[in-house]
Amino acid sequence: MKKIITLIGFALLMSSCSNDGDTKNITISFENKIAGDRINLGTGNYQNTSNESYSIDELKYIISNIQLVKENGEVFTYPQDNSYFLINESEPESQIIVLNNVPAQDFQTLKFGIGIDQTNYPLNGVDNFVPTAEENQMLWSWSAGYIFFKIEGDFSIENESHQDNFLFHIGSHGTNLDNYKTVELSATQFDLDLTRKDLIAIETDISKLFNAVHDIRINDKSDIQVDPVNAPKIAENASQMFSLKPTHSTN
Amino acid sequence: MKLSLLIFCLYFCLACNSDEDTYVPISEDKALDFPQPDFFPQPVYDLDENPPTEKGFELGKKLFYDGRLSSTGVISCGFCHIQEFSFTHHTHEVSHGVNGALGTRNAQPLVNLAYFNEFSWDGAAPHLDAFSIIPITTDVEMNETVTNVLNKLESDEEYIDLFSIAFENGKVNTQNMFRALSQFMVMMVSADTKYDKVLEGNAVFTEAEAAGKALFDSKCSGCHEGILFTDQSYRNNGLPIDPRYNDIGRKRVTGLETDKYKFKVPSLRNIAVSLPYMHDGRFKTLKEVLDFYDSGVQLTENLDSVFQQSNSIGISLSETEKEQLIAFLNTLTDDNFLLDRRFSEF
Ligand code: HEC
Ligand code: HEC
Repeated sequence: MKKIITLIGFALLMSSCSNDGDTKNITISFENKIAGDRINLGTGNYQNTSNESYSIDELKYIISNIQLVKENGEVFTYPQDNSYFLINESEPESQIIVLNNVPAQDFQTLKFGIGIDQTNYPLNGVDNFVPTAEENQMLWSWSAGYIFFKIEGDFSIENESHQDNFLFHIGSHGTNLDNYKTVELSATQFDLDLTRKDLIAIETDISKLFNAVHDIRINDKSDIQVDPVNAPKIAENASQMFSLKPTHSTN
Repeated sequence: MKLSLLIFCLYFCLACNSDEDTYVPISEDKALDFPQPDFFPQPVYDLDENPPTEKGFELGKKLFYDGRLSSTGVISCGFCHIQEFSFTHHTHEVSHGVNGALGTRNAQPLVNLAYFNEFSWDGAAPHLDAFSIIPITTDVEMNETVTNVLNKLESDEEYIDLFSIAFENGKVNTQNMFRALSQFMVMMVSADTKYDKVLEGNAVFTEAEAAGKALFDSKCSGCHEGILFTDQSYRNNGLPIDPRYNDIGRKRVTGLETDKYKFKVPSLRNIAVSLPYMHDGRFKTLKEVLDFYDSGVQLTENLDSVFQQSNSIGISLSETEKEQLIAFLNTLTDDNFLLDRRFSEF
């Protein structure tokens, strides 16, 4: 009798483990690079395709709404409430995010958003991201809105010694201007087989911010914030920065 | 054998770490009926997503009147939003925040917020649950951080208790704090004015009020439209630009030149008590407002076309017509709302 109860209890426990099979905690790392090297805040000097050189003092962005998709189309959505992350170049810990209880399966695509999806704002727990965003100055206090992507630094035009500041703060404000972007990374070159590994490495090529879909000449507008013309261009470029990198499998 | 099974079970228990153990609310809390007036549109605020309850409302009210939401400990929401004046900052042109810091705008009335789709004079907040970030963190208002506010609340037994009863997950967190404030504010429904009684057939307008209503319907209701007295659009009504603030209005939110100097059309419910008027509180009386519409409207960028119909700019009004309009506007005061004990601080 006792044995049966234990067995039933056991079966119940098993079924309470949502998916078919195991789950595991996985890690996603973000490396912000330019020309293959980690960027150096303050000291690194970089060139864009518009003959400008620039340095970066601050670089932060919000990653959200993480999903993993299998080849057969099955989607695993990471719990909405916990699916907001702030990547801050000056804080190495922030560049490694841990997802708990992810099905240990072979996935085909990784999807995520840059910023906060308007349909979720401020619902589904996104308000609970306010303290993190606030500590990192990723809130527009006057508009109750999030800054999705922030980069600040200095730039100069080629052959000119004069340096100036630049500052891009990209987000959505009001309901008219939506700069939320989604990214899809497919396991073509490198797999997303979570039966074999528990680390996904992502490289963020910051130089693409200045030339991917649009060419951005910093000197044309060096302060871009609430800007219905330029902010969407930066956001589109930002959505092109991410790529998967090889990682070793654990078994 | 048994032991190993147990250990096995335990292991799975921990490994699953699912949400199975969610907190089951003890029914100490009761749902509140939302006071939907018959002739109002459906609320915009999603009451199913955040249904007002007794304890949620009580928590929201406590937060609303708590100075600890500010850095100096004395500026509460209720400091700038005073009930008798339809939750405005009576006699203050622009708001006064911590240490007497001056803002640039007049505190808006908090009335019928459940029916609005965007908040603040320029629509900077797309949802009521997000609005409170603005006053809490603005340096000239409460000058505090949400993180600090949460820390203060977490060290207070009364708050811990209220949060735990009012919300299913029982947590003292940002979402629950903002939701509690929203529960308090969405219940502020005002629809018990003489105007409403006339609509219901329970009162009649005086001659002057009736004449005022006719004038209002023909000259004002294109913007101050319908039962809420606002179409919730953003318009430039031709106020001269005040160089002290040079407030660009809606353009701050959208970045569009075509939105420069546009402000949200305000509701006119309780207008007789929510002085001073306009986004910067520049007019002290309704007479001044009407004098402005009659002869003060300026041709600034994006002036609404309504004001440019004839060869003169504005809405020409005789002195009698102004008196009649004021008589009508005075029928929009809801004394029961202004004195409703449920919303009052003490
Ligand atoms: C220092 C004075 C001050 C304090 C304190 C203050 N407010 Fe306000 N409130 C204002 C002003 C000024 C506006 C108009 C803001 C604008 O247009 O930029 C406003 C607007 C609002 C609105 C928008 C109403 C509408 O119709 O769109 C809401 C809601 C509101 N306040 C709620 C609150 C809450 C909740 C708190 C406390 C957390 C609070 N306020 C604290 C001054 C204040
Ligand atoms: C074209 C649209 C439009 C028309 C027509 C219009 N208004 Fe307004 N009204 C506004 C806007 C927009 C504001 C807020 C402007 C600001 O503060 O910058 C406003 C503000 C007001 C205010 C101040 C409200 C407050 O809370 O401070 C009063 C009172 C008012 N209008 C009454 C009237 C009357 C009476 C008429 C008709 C004679 C009228 N309005 C016609 C758009 C309009």
